[in-house]
Amino acid sequence: MRGGHGRRENQTMKASSAKNSYDAIVVGAGHNGLTAAATLAKRGKRVLVLERSQSIGGMAKTSEIAPGVRGPRMAHLLYNLSPLVSSELDLEAHGLRIVARDLPTVSLSPDGRHVVIAGAEARYCDGGAHPDAETFSSLWQRMIRFSALIAPIFARTPPRLAGGGMSRQNLFEGAQLAKLGLDLRRMGKSEMREFLRVVFSNVSDLFLDEIPDGPLAGAMAADAVLGAWAGPKSPGTVLMLMYRLAQGGAKQLPAGGMGAVTDALANAARARGAEIRTGVGVDSVLIDGERVGGVAFGRNESAEAPLVFSSLDTMSTLKLVGAEHFDIEACRRIQNIRAKGTAAKINFALSAVPKFHGLDDTLLRARLLVAPSVNYIERAFNPAKYGELPSEPMIEAVIPSLSDPSLCDDDAHVMSAIVQFAPYDLKGGWSSAARERLAKISLALLEQYAPGIADLVTATEVLSPADIERETGARGGHWHHAEMAVDQMIMLRPTNGMGRYASGVPGLYFCGASAHPGGDVTGAAGRNAALQSIRDGGAL
Amino acid sequence: MPNSTRYDAIVIGAGHNGLTTACYLAKAGLRVLVVEKNDWVGGAAVSRELYDGWTYSNCSYVCSLLRPEVVRDLDLPRHGLQVIPYEGGATFTPDGDYFAHYADHDTLRREIARHSKRDVDAYERYSKLVLRQCRFIRPLLLRTPPDPASLHPRDLQELLYLIRRFHDLGEREMGETLRFWTLSVGEFLEEHFESELIRASLAGSGIIGTGLGVYSPGTAYVLLHHYMGEVDGSIGSWGFARGGMGSISNALASALKDAGGEIRVGSGIDRFLIKNGIVTGVVLDNGDEFEAPLVASNMDVKRTFLRHVDASELPDAFVTAVKRFKIRGSSAKLNVALDGFPEFPAAPADAPFLKGDLHCSVSLAELERAYDDWKEGRWSADPYFDMLIPTRMDPTMAPPGKHMMTMFIQYAPYDLEVDGVRAPENWENARERFANTVIDKVERICPGIRDLILHKEVRSPWDLEREVGLTEGNIFQGELTFDQLLFNRPVPGYAQYRSPIKGLYLVGSSAHPGGGVMAAPGANAAREILRDVKLLSRHARWSRAA
Repeated sequence: MRGGHGRRENQTMKASSAKNSYDAIVVGAGHNGLTAAATLAKRGKRVLVLERSQSIGGMAKTSEIAPGVRGPRMAHLLYNLSPLVSSELDLEAHGLRIVARDLPTVSLSPDGRHVVIAGAEARYCDGGAHPDAETFSSLWQRMIRFSALIAPIFARTPPRLAGGGMSRQNLFEGAQLAKLGLDLRRMGKSEMREFLRVVFSNVSDLFLDEIPDGPLAGAMAADAVLGAWAGPKSPGTVLMLMYRLAQGGAKQLPAGGMGAVTDALANAARARGAEIRTGVGVDSVLIDGERVGGVAFGRNESAEAPLVFSSLDTMSTLKLVGAEHFDIEACRRIQNIRAKGTAAKINFALSAVPKFHGLDDTLLRARLLVAPSVNYIERAFNPAKYGELPSEPMIEAVIPSLSDPSLCDDDAHVMSAIVQFAPYDLKGGWSSAARERLAKISLALLEQYAPGIADLVTATEVLSPADIERETGARGGHWHHAEMAVDQMIMLRPTNGMGRYASGVPGLYFCGASAHPGGDVTGAAGRNAALQSIRDGGAL
Repeated sequence: MPNSTRYDAIVIGAGHNGLTTACYLAKAGLRVLVVEKNDWVGGAAVSRELYDGWTYSNCSYVCSLLRPEVVRDLDLPRHGLQVIPYEGGATFTPDGDYFAHYADHDTLRREIARHSKRDVDAYERYSKLVLRQCRFIRPLLLRTPPDPASLHPRDLQELLYLIRRFHDLGEREMGETLRFWTLSVGEFLEEHFESELIRASLAGSGIIGTGLGVYSPGTAYVLLHHYMGEVDGSIGSWGFARGGMGSISNALASALKDAGGEIRVGSGIDRFLIKNGIVTGVVLDNGDEFEAPLVASNMDVKRTFLRHVDASELPDAFVTAVKRFKIRGSSAKLNVALDGFPEFPAAPADAPFLKGDLHCSVSLAELERAYDDWKEGRWSADPYFDMLIPTRMDPTMAPPGKHMMTMFIQYAPYDLEVDGVRAPENWENARERFANTVIDKVERICPGIRDLILHKEVRSPWDLEREVGLTEGNIFQGELTFDQLLFNRPVPGYAQYRSPIKGLYLVGSSAHPGGGVMAAPGANAAREILRDVKLLSRHARWSRAA
């Protein structure tokens, strides 16, 4: 994939002209790479961003599914955008407009009594009261409170477990941790105890201890395991949920699709002088003496910079640099990073608005979930462990063209669906037959809730985790680049010893989802990596 | 014996923890009574003659975790306790091969190399890592957990002790420890070993007794639970108690009697006597009434508070928390009297490893599928079993030439599903079918074993519940996941052996540090009880502070 022959010769630096010299080079123009670039550019650094594919965006792209039908290629909802990134880079001024601010969720039920969730309110789609509405409300609000408590940890460079001396950063981080402890205590004894009880627990017990299993519990559990190699019964899923709810959980649709987010980031970067080149794949990171010196690309081309930020997953970064520049322990750890994608993306081009039983026009715009119970989701996960497809997958779908007419021409619409659990290491591999099978299973499932929808499909695009890996380079096609398991989070992300963006090779930083805090369209990793490199003062 | 009904302390349940607590209290000079519902003592650490001439350790079957401090303090060897380390063990493959464990280091290395040369070094690294974790955890077993929500000096001090101990590991080791506690045993083993057979062989310890799978985060910690014991100072080794596990309980009972304590068998508790939030005594099933200001329950937290205390006596939040406590049974036992030693065609004649724990689950996927079955309320179609023939080492457990085989099986659900209905009573008509599933699998490695079976006893989780008193048949008196460990065990705010009822204590495995035949909960609880009545000896105070 990367690191073609000739790499060794290219690795030593050649004398280069000033115009190929930058303060920092960013590999990959996904949203994190662009955030890193914009953050650095804002601080006066001369930045070059190199993107292998023809367009920027990474997993946050808008693309054409069929003539006149555009949709979110991979990520389709915005819910975890870092407010710091948004305000610091003034994304609104650079073109980011939100057309739907707080999409409700419809948890579809086979018996037609779909559950509508708006914020912390739950009711049936016919307006009827849900028997567990009150319990759900207090439970959900508690989860939001807990998530808000630890959100500051996700927003910044992870604190160190030890050492670090008396630097300003360490004192600041120490103060942050102390504040977390105080905030925890300030919640009151019983809330504090509840937090310490559930933080490493599983969402199946968390929810089913309070409400009966069904579409409401299923919807909450789905939020925890979307993008994960885990089922609701897996310990650690509560922390995954808290991560996802870090900004309160409101789901938004950007005008123009998810590509609008990365476009705004690119605009912010360019406005400050950053250069973004597409169609340029980096072949290797060049080493100058003890530290990075730049990158090599194309046919014998290179660019110099004392700082290189890789938004790729850790293993891909390792390959760009060469394992010989990492110590054996680090190599082993990187090798062991678990990154097995389970989310497939299916985009359907529709010739008309589909009709879902029990859903009026307003509810049709909502986020539609096929997660009718916690046990359903667990059963959908089980086969993935053995490289098999579920007969009944979990689906998160949305028809963004209903809220954003700019996406499709005439009466056409696009339905974007995340289908789980589609294992990266599918037995027999992701052939076109396998993709078709998944599309068929998914459409048959949707047909149960929206009879006739199959007849409206004019084009189908299936991206398996293998396809996602091929297109974005993300290992395992994993949306977070590496599993969001507790042992691969915070200061242990991507590995123990590399938790603060510095890779160990002086000047080389991890700035993508494989670094803290992880994936989702947040921009946090990019921002933090950029800021950390400045704090490190080039010493690392 | 005076027919008194007044004691200084009453212990409910003569399980090994209850007996341990009773011993410490008696040694401190208290007049102690232990009441037990069965006609025998021991709870799940028993040896029973269920078939003429055979002694079954029909629940727990091997010994490792019994705290050496307790063994010393109570002088158990003088009271008959003798634990013989066992060596060996193997996992047999379907194609007639095996992976065996040897006590001799070089032999083990050669055996590993036979399957994977790379894994020889991996095993060194793995052993060092596990040992490091054992050393870190072990002192915590005999310490009362702090209450993180409290500002009491003792809690702050203990919290500080834990933080400092963690911090002393150094940055790298702290990270490694956090990883280890949150990883699944399957993924942990995949990081180290390339041989699937070796991985599967080691993974069993991560799921024994749990309602979790090898890929469930947190099971690497469970593996630790099974490694941190020792026999004769040899850390991580397991042994047989001569005469069966009952000899542990019998030794404890003997030590108790020596210290002046009393044991009454044959009647369990009906209810605790409580007045104004203070315990005053107990009433037994047979109507007998006893008074005491201190009552210690060896029963699990659910059985103690939901069956024998009126809800009106307890805070609502406490009752909710206890109801929520996870105690799902997932294990079954098959205890078999054999007419002779079974044939193991894959093993060389007289192989020493046949003295140890034998298995035939050969991949992590196999183990995980076994867990998937359990989630649906079925026993594993392809179960994991831990099989031992202790008579190889301790011939006293069966008539000469005959043998006793104990099998521990994962997974078997408490509420078995039959025709869409999940209920423990479904086991009544299912035991034989279940036994056949297991024996069919054993036959793969011991062809003809069926012909040797003279008698078998099937203990489903339901049977364990009814006979031993373990709610839902969970052998640890509660799942060993972080939400129920340390300051969360059994419920947050009540992790220090005390309950909302003054004078009523929890001393069994529902309390820290959890299950396994450790005697740690019992010892810790005794210390807290004695502290409360200001009888804590200086010696005990010092040894805790160590």
